[in-house]
Amino acid sequence: MEQTQKRETGIVRSNRETARGHYVIEVELPGLFGVVCPGQFVMFRPGTGETPLLSRPFSVCSQTETGETTRIELLYRVVGAGTARMALLRQGDTVNVLGPLGRGFDMDEGRRVILVAGGVGVAPLIFYAGLRRAREEDSGRVRIVAYVGAADEESIVGVERLEPHCDEVKIATDDGSRGFRGTVTELFRNDVKYYEKKAVVVRACGPRAMLSALADVLDGQGIACQVSMEERMACGIGACLGCAVKVRLGDGSVGYRRVCKEGPVFDMEDIDWHEN
Amino acid sequence: MKTDGAERPNMAVSIGRLVLKNPVITASGTFGYGEEFAPYLDLDRLGGMVIKGISEKPRMGNPSPRIVETPSGLLNAIGLENVGVDAFITEKAPFLETLDTTVIANIFGESVDEYARVAGKLTGVKCVDALEVNISCPNVKRGGMDIGADPEQAAEVTRAVRQATNLPVIVKLTPNVTDITAVARRVEAAGADALSLINTLRGMSVDIYTARPRLANVTGGLSGPAIRPLAVLMVWETVQAVSIPVIGMGGIMNACDALEFLIAGARAIEVGTANFVNPAAVLDIIDGIERHLGDACVDDINDIIGTLDCRRK
Repeated sequence: MEQTQKRETGIVRSNRETARGHYVIEVELPGLFGVVCPGQFVMFRPGTGETPLLSRPFSVCSQTETGETTRIELLYRVVGAGTARMALLRQGDTVNVLGPLGRGFDMDEGRRVILVAGGVGVAPLIFYAGLRRAREEDSGRVRIVAYVGAADEESIVGVERLEPHCDEVKIATDDGSRGFRGTVTELFRNDVKYYEKKAVVVRACGPRAMLSALADVLDGQGIACQVSMEERMACGIGACLGCAVKVRLGDGSVGYRRVCKEGPVFDMEDIDWHEN
Repeated sequence: MKTDGAERPNMAVSIGRLVLKNPVITASGTFGYGEEFAPYLDLDRLGGMVIKGISEKPRMGNPSPRIVETPSGLLNAIGLENVGVDAFITEKAPFLETLDTTVIANIFGESVDEYARVAGKLTGVKCVDALEVNISCPNVKRGGMDIGADPEQAAEVTRAVRQATNLPVIVKLTPNVTDITAVARRVEAAGADALSLINTLRGMSVDIYTARPRLANVTGGLSGPAIRPLAVLMVWETVQAVSIPVIGMGGIMNACDALEFLIAGARAIEVGTANFVNPAAVLDIIDGIERHLGDACVDDINDIIGTLDCRRK
């Protein structure tokens, strides 16, 4: 699909804390901004100046066309100087947005979909679930079950955004303050035997440790899975080679692929989960 | 000298026998093979483009994390990942041939012979107008900075490349030395047509919560505005020490930064980290330099180069 990629100046429409340390920012962009596929990301930079120097990559959580303009939402957690600066943005502030970038999720696979999200990794899965639901008229009824993991009840994000699109949302917290006590992959491990392997596809996004544990759970199960990977990146367009992820190549050897270009969505079996 | 304001100033500069339509070049490792940036800017407007470092065989590069942002800087340890010279010629060169800009191939080797072989293979490739010899990468185990920090080895590689090609040879120097002019003079004597500097400064960053280095490679090379004053100094010192042209770089983010290097004596400049912040940054820099010349009523960029006045007022 031909898709325009542009660096645009956007205007912040809202920027609010939705869970402890977690924010949703809505940015208005010119209508020329490309149509985003769930799993694709943008490079986002608040204002000018040299701190932070580089843009930060964020998966798009939603896109709304409003005629002249398009609005996107990004979900983020404050983890460092870049996101701390981002949390200070107010309505009306201008920001730089480059995108949409990278490879998104395959959208038409599977009648039954399982989503596995860790923390802010829920962002592209909210987008995915909404679009699958919206396309049901063409594709037929889809059953969507989401597994959402967080450290504790106060850090859970995205559940209220997933619920309208999902048949079921299951929650795991590390401390058991809400839902299952343990990791989201442990929760999923308990259920995996009940799924009809051939009919099911998994879409997952979260910390590498979570995705690696998910790869363990799915090992030998014959369930197709796509994961959205994260790495530090400088450019987002395939030039800096900073966001390398180790993959298994067809001939049995390993090599690196760029999260920004060949990813961020990869087929789970292509990733070399043993090391970075 | 003075312009009446009607005509646009001359922006063309020459690096020996290499003529650039303007002095703004994209730096190696920050602009891919050019094609990555085609959606974002008209590549024909560039003064030149230096391609990601090319070695004889493909290189996989270092484990992740490969980059981390530091105050006004970018620390990287990519490890010279590249497709290798043969794949460059068959897969990347055809696109570059369609461009109307000067293409400079950055070459790398783990031995003197490898540098010469890569130089030989690239000589005669239609799109390649010059070679930039990378003897200054801080992130590889063999070759790279070890060569560039030793005047003797730097000269040896320069001689070998000089003999292997008839293309203009630009040697890219490392700032990780006590006296960059000592290396510069030896490289000049060994037959280099021009010098480019500076490559990245060695650096390191630590995650205090895990007590681990932020880069998998432990150490990396620092670029960005953080290194600019040091880069200007080294360019200025080198310009006075040699008679071949010097291409300046190090943390150039805008036209003002570029002009600092030109006034200090650089005949052209390379833009690196800024390409990551804004893929069209070089166009803003070209336009900004041209505007500055117009504002200063200077009708030729060459009348700005090396005009630094250090007399006491």
